[in-house]
Amino acid sequence: MVKKMVLTMGAMILMFPAMAFADAPSTAMLNTGLNSLWVMLAAILVILMQGGFILLEAGSTRMKNAGHVAGKTIFTFGLGSLIYWAVGYGIAFGEDGNLLFGLGKFFYNPPILYGENAGLSDSVFFIFQLAFATISLSIAWGGFAERAKLSSYLIFTVVFVGVIYPVVAHWIWGGGWLAEDGAQDFAGSTVVHLSGAVAALAATILLKPRIGKFNKDGSSNQILGHNQVYTALAVLFLWVGWFGFNAGSTVAIETGFFGYVAFNTQIAAAAGAVAAMLISWALLGKSDITTMLNGGLAGLVAITASCAFVEPWAAVVIGLIAGVLVFFSQKFFEKLRIDDPIFALSVHGAAGVWGTLANGFFATPELAATAGVGKAGLFYGGGWGQLLVQLESVVVAGVFVFIVSFAVLYVIKKAIGFRVTEEQELIGLDLSEHGAYGYPEQMKKAQQNLNA
Amino acid sequence: MKDPVLVQLLQEIDAAELTAALRCLRDEAHRRMDALFPSLPLDEYYRQLNGVHDALIRRTVALAEAELARSGMGSPPVPYAYLLFGSGGRKEQTLSSDQDSGIIYEDAHSDEETLAAQKFFTNLSARAVALLQEIGYPPCEGNVISSNPQWCQPESEWKRQLESWFETADWEAVRYLLIVADCRHIHGSGELLERLKRHYYSDMLAKPVIVQRMLDNTIRHKMLIGVFGQLLKEQYGEDAGSIDIKYGAYIPMVNAVRLMAVQSQLRPTSTLERLHALEQAEVVTAEEAAAYSEAFLFFLKLRMIATENNEDGMYMNNGKLANHHLTKEMTEELKQSLKVGKRLQRQVQKLTLGKLK
Repeated sequence: MVKKMVLTMGAMILMFPAMAFADAPSTAMLNTGLNSLWVMLAAILVILMQGGFILLEAGSTRMKNAGHVAGKTIFTFGLGSLIYWAVGYGIAFGEDGNLLFGLGKFFYNPPILYGENAGLSDSVFFIFQLAFATISLSIAWGGFAERAKLSSYLIFTVVFVGVIYPVVAHWIWGGGWLAEDGAQDFAGSTVVHLSGAVAALAATILLKPRIGKFNKDGSSNQILGHNQVYTALAVLFLWVGWFGFNAGSTVAIETGFFGYVAFNTQIAAAAGAVAAMLISWALLGKSDITTMLNGGLAGLVAITASCAFVEPWAAVVIGLIAGVLVFFSQKFFEKLRIDDPIFALSVHGAAGVWGTLANGFFATPELAATAGVGKAGLFYGGGWGQLLVQLESVVVAGVFVFIVSFAVLYVIKKAIGFRVTEEQELIGLDLSEHGAYGYPEQMKKAQQNLNA
Repeated sequence: MKDPVLVQLLQEIDAAELTAALRCLRDEAHRRMDALFPSLPLDEYYRQLNGVHDALIRRTVALAEAELARSGMGSPPVPYAYLLFGSGGRKEQTLSSDQDSGIIYEDAHSDEETLAAQKFFTNLSARAVALLQEIGYPPCEGNVISSNPQWCQPESEWKRQLESWFETADWEAVRYLLIVADCRHIHGSGELLERLKRHYYSDMLAKPVIVQRMLDNTIRHKMLIGVFGQLLKEQYGEDAGSIDIKYGAYIPMVNAVRLMAVQSQLRPTSTLERLHALEQAEVVTAEEAAAYSEAFLFFLKLRMIATENNEDGMYMNNGKLANHHLTKEMTEELKQSLKVGKRLQRQVQKLTLGKLK
C-alpha cells in the first residue's frame, strides 16, 4: 500500500513538477487558516455549551417545566444570534465607536475570504463572539426559571444581546475604557459570566421566589431538580465546551499558548469540584452532589478570566477557592431569601467576581506581557494597581448590567407582566406557555393522582 | 419513688376500670412530670415517668384481658407475657412515645389448643393496641406491635423465629434481633421472656459473625457533629435550623451501648443500666462509663425538650430540637456530648472488630 503511494507520488512529481513547488500558500496564509480553523472549532465547542445549559437548567428544575426550560434555550439562541448579527456585534466591536460603545458592522456582512495577513477569518471571529454573547444570555435565564412568561424571554433577549452584553464586551474587549485601564478578563469571567449572573439577579429579585421555596418563618425548602443525571452530564458538556471558551480565546495557535490556557482551565475546574465536594461534606456531614457539580463550574468560571495570566499553582488555588466560595454563596443567597433555582448567582456571579479579582493577586509579569493586557498582580510585585483595576471592572460592569437589566425587566413587569399566574406556575410552564408537557406520560399520571 | 402524689397516681392507675379514666390519669401524670422536669435529676425523672408508662400499659393490658373475658372469649388459655420493645423496653419512653410491643405465650399441647390460643391472643393484642391508642399511644410506624402476628407468637415459634433471624442475618433480620435485645416483659409471666433471652444469647454465642452485621446496623446513624466540631442541623423545610436529637445523638448512643452489652451477654435493657453493667464487667472503665452516662443523660434531656405535637389526641414527637431551645451553654454542652458519643462509636467499632479477629 505504502509502496504504491510512494510510486504514484513519484510519478506525479515527475510528470507535473509544478505540483510540488508552485502556488504554495504563504506562511501568513497558512497561519490565518490554521487560526481560523482552531477558532471555528472553539466556537463549535462553545455553541455546544448551550446543550450543557439545556441539561443543566432542565435537570435542576421540575418535570412540569422541562420542555419549556429546554426548548426556550434553542429559541433564544436563535433570536439572540439574529440580534447579535444586526446590532450587538457592531456595538461590541464596531470600529467607529468611542470608549463607551462601538459603531459599525451592524447587520454584519463579513468578507467572503480572508486576506493573507488577516490572522483570523472575520466570519469565524463573529461566530465565536456570537457564541459568547448567547452563553451569557443563557446564564441570565437561571434567574427566570420556572416562573417567567415566555414573552419576557423574547423581549429580554433583544435588549441583552443587542445592548447590555455588547457594551460590557466593548468596554473590556473592544477597546473600550476598561480595556484602556488594563482590565484583565481573558475569556470573560466578568464579560460573559458576571453579566449573565447579574441579569439573573435582577430577574429573580423582580420575579420573587418560586411558590413554595421559602416558609413564613424564614426557613427555606429544597425544590429538587427532576434529574440529577442531566445536571451531572450538563457539567461535563460545559467542562468540555470550556476548552473552546478559554483556550479558543487565544484566537491564535502560533505559539501554542492555547495549550497552556487549556491546562490551567482543567486543573482549576478539577480543584473547584474537589473543594466544593469536601466543604459540603465537612460542613453538612454529607457530601452534596449539586454543590460538587456547582464547584466544578465555579472553578471553570473563575479561571476564565485568569487562565492566561497565572501559573498552574495559582490556577489550583483559584479553583479551590471558587469551590468553597460557591458553597457559601449558595447559603448566602438563600439567607437573603433570593431564589436561585440554577445557582446562576453563585456559580457565575460569585465565582465570576472572584476569578476576575484573582488576576489582581496572581497575574505574573511574563504572562501579562504575553497576553498584552495589564500588569502583574499583588503577589508578583505588581502592587495594588492591577487589583484595583480588576475591582473597578467588576463593580462597573456589575452595576451597569444590573441597572439596565432591572429597568428593562421592571418595564416588562409593569407593562405586560413578568411572571405567570399562580395557577400557571402550579400546572407548569410546559402547559401554560406551550400547550404540551415535555414529559407527557409522567405528567398525565401525576395529574390523575392529583384528581383522584 | 417516694413522691406521695406519684404513689397515689400509680395506685389510681392500678385501680382504673375505664380507658377514659386512664387517659385522664395520663394527662395528670404528664402535668406532674412537666412540673418536675426542671427540678428532678434526669435519671430519676425518667425512672418516674417510665414507672407511670409501665403502670398505664400494664393496667390497659389487664383491662383488655377483662374485656375479652366479659365478651365471652374466656381467660388466657396458657400463661403469656406482654412485651415492650424500643424505648418502652429500654425504660426510656418520653411523654410522646409510640407502642412497640409483642406477646409471647406458652406452647399448647395439642393442635386444637394451639389454634385456640392463637385466636385468643390475636384478639387480646388487637384489643390492647386499640385501648392503648385510646390513652394516646400511637401505634409503631415500623409495625413492631403485638397486633402484628410476627410479634405475637407461642414460645416455640419465637425461638424458631430467632434462629431463622440469626441464620438469615440480612439487614432486616439483624434489625429485628437488635429490637429483641431491648425486650422487657411488662405483664404476665416473666419466666417466658427469661427463657427466650437465654435462647437468644446461646444462639448468639454460636454465631459470632452476627456481631459484624449488628455493628453495620449499629453505627449506621452518625452523631450530628462535623469535622470542624460544628453541629449538623437540618438545612431545609419546616424543621430547618433544628437538630435531630433522636437520630443524630440519642439513637446512635443507644445502639452503641446495646451492641457492647449484647456482646458481653449483659441482660439489662436500659442504656444507663447497660453502661453500669459494662463498667462492672470491666468492658469500659469507670471514667468512660461516667462520661458516656453523662452525655446520654444530656441527650435524654434534650429529647424531652424537643418539639411535642398533639396530633389527633396522640402524643407525638419528631425528635428534632428547634434552634431556639438551644442556649449558648447548651450548644456547647451538646457539642461536647456529641464528641463523647463519637468516641463511644469508635470504641464499639474497635471492640467488635477486635473480637472478630
